[in-house]
Amino acid sequence: MTYPFTDDHDMIRDAARGFLQAWYDGGKGPERVYQSGTAFDGAAWQSFAKELGMAGIAISEEHEGAGLGDLGRVVVMEELGASLCAIPFLTTCGIVTDIIQTAGEATAKNRYLKKIAAGELSAAYCDGHDAAAKVVSHVVHAAEADLIVLSGRGEGGIDYFAIPKGTAGLKITPEKTMDPTRSFAAVDWNDVAKGNLIPIGYGSEDQHEKLITQSFTALAAECVGGAQKCLDMTLEYAGQRVQFGRPIASFQAIKHRCADMFILIEAARSAVYAAAMAAPEDNTEAALIAKAYATDAFFKVAGDAIQMHGGIGFTWDYPLHFFFKRARANRSMFGSSERDYDRLAGHIFGDAA
Amino acid sequence: MSALREEFSKWMSDNLCGDYECLRGRATPGDEDAFPGMRLKWEREMGEAGWIGVSWPKEYGGRGASLDDIVGFNEEYAAHGGPGRAGHIGETLLAPTIIAFGTEEQKAKYLPGIKAGTEFWCQGYSEPNAGSDLSNIKTKAQLKNDQWIIEGQKIWTSLAMDSDYIFVIARAEEGSVGRHGLVFLLVKLDQPGIEIRPIKQMSGTAEFNEVFFGGAVCGEKDIIGGVGEGWKIAMALLGFERGASTLGQQMTFADEFRQIVELAKKNGASRDPLIRQRIAKAYAGLKIMRFTALRTLEAAETGELTKEGYISKIYWASWHRDLGELAMDVMGVSAEILEEGEYNKLQKLFLFSRSDTIYGGTNQIQRNIIAERALGMPKEPRGGGTVIKG
Repeated sequence: MTYPFTDDHDMIRDAARGFLQAWYDGGKGPERVYQSGTAFDGAAWQSFAKELGMAGIAISEEHEGAGLGDLGRVVVMEELGASLCAIPFLTTCGIVTDIIQTAGEATAKNRYLKKIAAGELSAAYCDGHDAAAKVVSHVVHAAEADLIVLSGRGEGGIDYFAIPKGTAGLKITPEKTMDPTRSFAAVDWNDVAKGNLIPIGYGSEDQHEKLITQSFTALAAECVGGAQKCLDMTLEYAGQRVQFGRPIASFQAIKHRCADMFILIEAARSAVYAAAMAAPEDNTEAALIAKAYATDAFFKVAGDAIQMHGGIGFTWDYPLHFFFKRARANRSMFGSSERDYDRLAGHIFGDAA
Repeated sequence: MSALREEFSKWMSDNLCGDYECLRGRATPGDEDAFPGMRLKWEREMGEAGWIGVSWPKEYGGRGASLDDIVGFNEEYAAHGGPGRAGHIGETLLAPTIIAFGTEEQKAKYLPGIKAGTEFWCQGYSEPNAGSDLSNIKTKAQLKNDQWIIEGQKIWTSLAMDSDYIFVIARAEEGSVGRHGLVFLLVKLDQPGIEIRPIKQMSGTAEFNEVFFGGAVCGEKDIIGGVGEGWKIAMALLGFERGASTLGQQMTFADEFRQIVELAKKNGASRDPLIRQRIAKAYAGLKIMRFTALRTLEAAETGELTKEGYISKIYWASWHRDLGELAMDVMGVSAEILEEGEYNKLQKLFLFSRSDTIYGGTNQIQRNIIAERALGMPKEPRGGGTVIKG
């Protein structure tokens, strides 16, 4: 048990790591998902969410979750990042859980949270309130989600609606992605009757932005887990690979670059833990920093890992490319790090647009 | 706020004023020559009030302060604009070493002066040919007639000009190499065998000095540990800096950062999108620095040795150097102009911060340390002719 974690977190981490590394299986897990062409492993989701009970990690005990909050979610996301397991945890247990817990009405909470916590419901969030055409592409995990949570513009704020899979008129078109372990789809609700959009909650624009930003922390934690895995693989490889009669790990050109990877990862970890520790009503800035820093760090570390593996790192058979592609994908999820830093600059100068 | 922190905060408000007002925010790195007399007087003021050695055990006159209290103490000091400390080497490095390894006689002889803020220490480690390769010590100490006779030279000695004593690692065993055969000596500076020469730095000031030993002496008993244990003691001393003071240092950094933000608002640099990105990144870096320090300190409280502490030095040094560069870019062409013929605060920051990535272990040595200790990679060749194989 190491600060800021407790014994509960350690137990969760051990269980998640055991399952997810067995799934990862030296890279065979991501390759299997790639071969399947769906960017989703339903059996893994079933086991992870339902049997291991991971889906309720951040859901309050009142709704039969584990009540471990952002910090608990960080633990799970780090392990997911280290395995690239293709399951809709980030959206179901991150953003949608946050929307329902924070902005949801009592009926919605009762209807959905218990089911999510039990691993019986997966969900994706569709950012729909600026989509006049009622079509949004690149919606993460929408392809496999049991429930789409849609934001719409209401009077002076944001309304949230639930659209269960199979609702008449709901069109979900999976998209082919460069990162084969994370699914994206286009969501089209033009033909969904208004009465079939189930209202579940409401929030002001500001509250909405805070809510969305809160889930940045989970994404950032995934980056830390992925980057750590890249460094671990690099250290192992550099210790075995012999050139000029010595393991390449003994050369400073390699050592110093690994040291730089470690610095980036530990700094990102600090940013993520600080964001997860911050009070929910006051964590926007910390979450922005965590996401901006960790997404950049993961991308840099994954690229460096390929470089230090030499030719083998460039092959499809060696699993590093999956991490590199995930790192790339995470740089554009919820917008770029440049945009995060720009928002931060607005806070610092007090001149936010 | 803890009771100790509150008490200290009030004391700072009540005392860092009047004659001492001029010291507020001064004597930071690059500004070390500000008001030397007043600074030594300020140390005595702190000593008299019992604010030196709060982290020492009670039996040695300390308050046995908890980690939270020490952090609070350092943060309050910085928040009130307390000047750069002249006595920190004695208080935070040598005193804990004496308490852990010294004799009762040494404790009685040296601790009271440090505690009172009347006796100052400097550190005699580096030599012209023992920088990153610190164990390549050439300064010699020979025992003759109950006295150690010291010959050689130390360099980059901070604050030697204002100090009363120097602790020195020297070679006591003829023919020994590397970490073997060294002794850790406690030497009075004011004696005929010692000459101190300041080194003028690129910042125009002189925090660092050369110290020459030509037959300098100290008593046979003025050593910590035995002959041959010098390296062990020297390294243990560095280990006493647990990082609590870095939180105070970070508040100084935060002040510098705020000054740059204010300047950018005033001169319009804040409208430049590239400057905005860099300002935001500097801000993020400062927050990350703080939480990394907290992780290390909290783990240490429960007796755990965590690895992220290894990034501390290279992270803050690189961050601070980058801040200096950012400050100049925010100033624009006026960065080239001396106001009243002097470097202003930001110009000093820019120039002095070039040393941050060099002293206390260069960034390159830090990367070796991280690779070897945090990541378990093969070791570099060590001094003393032993090559450690990968």
